Amino acid sequence: MSTKAQTLKRPGLPRPLIIIGSIVLVLVCLFPFWWMALSSVKSLRELYTIPPIWWPSMPTFDNYYKVLFESNIPRYFLNSIIISVGSTALALVLAIFASYGFARFDFRGKPLLQSLVLVGQLLPTAAIIVPLFITLRVLGLVNTYWGLILVYMIITLPLSVWMLTSYFKSIPVELDEAAIIDGASRLECLLRITLPLSLPGLASVTVYAFVTTWNEFIFALCFATDSSVKTLPIGLAEFSTEFNTDWGAVMAASVVMTLPIAILFLSMQRLFVGGLTAGATKG
Amino acid sequence: MTCGRATLPQKSPTSRRIIPMQRQSTGYFFVLPALMVLGMLIAYPVAYTGLLSVTDNAGTYVGLENFRRILSARATASAFWNTIWWVFGSIVFQIVLGVLTAILLNQNFSGRAIVRSVTLVPWVVPGIVAATTWAWMLHTEFGIINYMLTAPGLIDEPVGWLTNGSTVMPVMIAINIWKMFPFVAIMVLAALQSIPEDLYEAARIDGASFWEEVWYVMLPQVRSVIVAVTLLLVIWALNHITIIYAITRGGPANRTLITPIQIFRTAFESVQFNQAAALSVIFFAVAIVIVFIYIRILASNPGETQ
Repeated sequence: MSTKAQTLKRPGLPRPLIIIGSIVLVLVCLFPFWWMALSSVKSLRELYTIPPIWWPSMPTFDNYYKVLFESNIPRYFLNSIIISVGSTALALVLAIFASYGFARFDFRGKPLLQSLVLVGQLLPTAAIIVPLFITLRVLGLVNTYWGLILVYMIITLPLSVWMLTSYFKSIPVELDEAAIIDGASRLECLLRITLPLSLPGLASVTVYAFVTTWNEFIFALCFATDSSVKTLPIGLAEFSTEFNTDWGAVMAASVVMTLPIAILFLSMQRLFVGGLTAGATKG
Repeated sequence: MTCGRATLPQKSPTSRRIIPMQRQSTGYFFVLPALMVLGMLIAYPVAYTGLLSVTDNAGTYVGLENFRRILSARATASAFWNTIWWVFGSIVFQIVLGVLTAILLNQNFSGRAIVRSVTLVPWVVPGIVAATTWAWMLHTEFGIINYMLTAPGLIDEPVGWLTNGSTVMPVMIAINIWKMFPFVAIMVLAALQSIPEDLYEAARIDGASFWEEVWYVMLPQVRSVIVAVTLLLVIWALNHITIIYAITRGGPANRTLITPIQIFRTAFESVQFNQAAALSVIFFAVAIVIVFIYIRILASNPGETQ
């Protein structure tokens, strides 16, 4: 018995190769962030020295002070929160209903409509930026929270519908049938049965939509030109495109911008990755 | 909609029983809000782009004048070749590194969960943060990368990575690879972990070595995932212009100008909305052809996708 298990032991990578590979992988992935954090606590003099200083002798929080109290970054942070939360909530509501419709009903044109939703995900955004801008201008939505919240539906809604549809399909339809026999309406089925059973799927869609909108740059650059609605990515770009880039402050702002997303992602990572890969492989 | 048939995801023989108790048209009410929002934000602008591309500023019909003008601009041809470079350079390495990483993470070793989490970090952080951090690391005088290369004597003097016309595009591609290979890794890893154990056992009985297992068991099983991921990567490489735009805005001397950035700059810097629309139409048509070809490839192997 044990000898058989021995001979059929699964061959794997040699251990040294695994260790070296892992170390290289971790270094490549994390070094830029380590350098970012390190640069953010260096003084001006320490930033601009050769050879570079690997560990600042006097860590300073001047850069953070500059970012948090002497710039527009706090305002942009608030704008980013409002826009990301708003568009995530809207995408979630729309996607829940659409996914339930696609997962539980069989109506004429359903395959075509589903493909059209997917095509939305595959659309090159640069190709529709110009007419989108004109449309928003006509609707008076340029430089408003609603403008960006709506526009972000383009990038979050299609994949959210895709992920949630496959999640809803994995919930036994018999539960719905039993509820309908007991006199529940379709809406009650969705709200009382399907949704409570789909919390992991909902969580992964939420994380996906929030991360995507938090990170989005090009739409924000085009449709939010006033500092009352600008988001963090634009604020960061403003820091670094001025003539004299203050690299310490840029790195501090980068840390401020990365932290929420890193915390959110790492705490929800298993759900997120599970939902994403399920949606992709079940198609 | 000729591609409609090819993309039907629902035509599986195991398609779920649908409750026949109520009118199926109720489904329309559920999907309608989302479709209306997407229609307003996607279908309408796409149609409007077409209209803009054949009119002038005042809205009068000018035929193909906008197309002629934008195609005769010297930047357009170089932007086209830059885009090809950008997409292919990025994707080849993203796939290769992503698959290698997935094979590594598919091994059993302690600390694997941590390494896997860390691997995802570049993909999750904002593109603009990646762009600024790399720009600082690549700084000609004070950048850590030039220091790490000059100190052990790998290069003689600091390289102006972002100002030198021959290095700037490879550097942009490298940053993009760094940003996106984790996505490939995680998708391929998920596919690797769903390979039935019997296949490995059969290979083992035949005395396969590890690399033979990779070649004859793993790669054929994850092929369809790689094809699907490649399509996403192409679209994302064309969509996510943050890295290039934030670091160089297409410069120096248009060396990193790719078509999406050219559209953006034509519209918002030169305020030539109609020419930008004409370029969008061409860009859109090419992108649709690529997507269509890919979907055909995907659809031609229905047995491999679950």
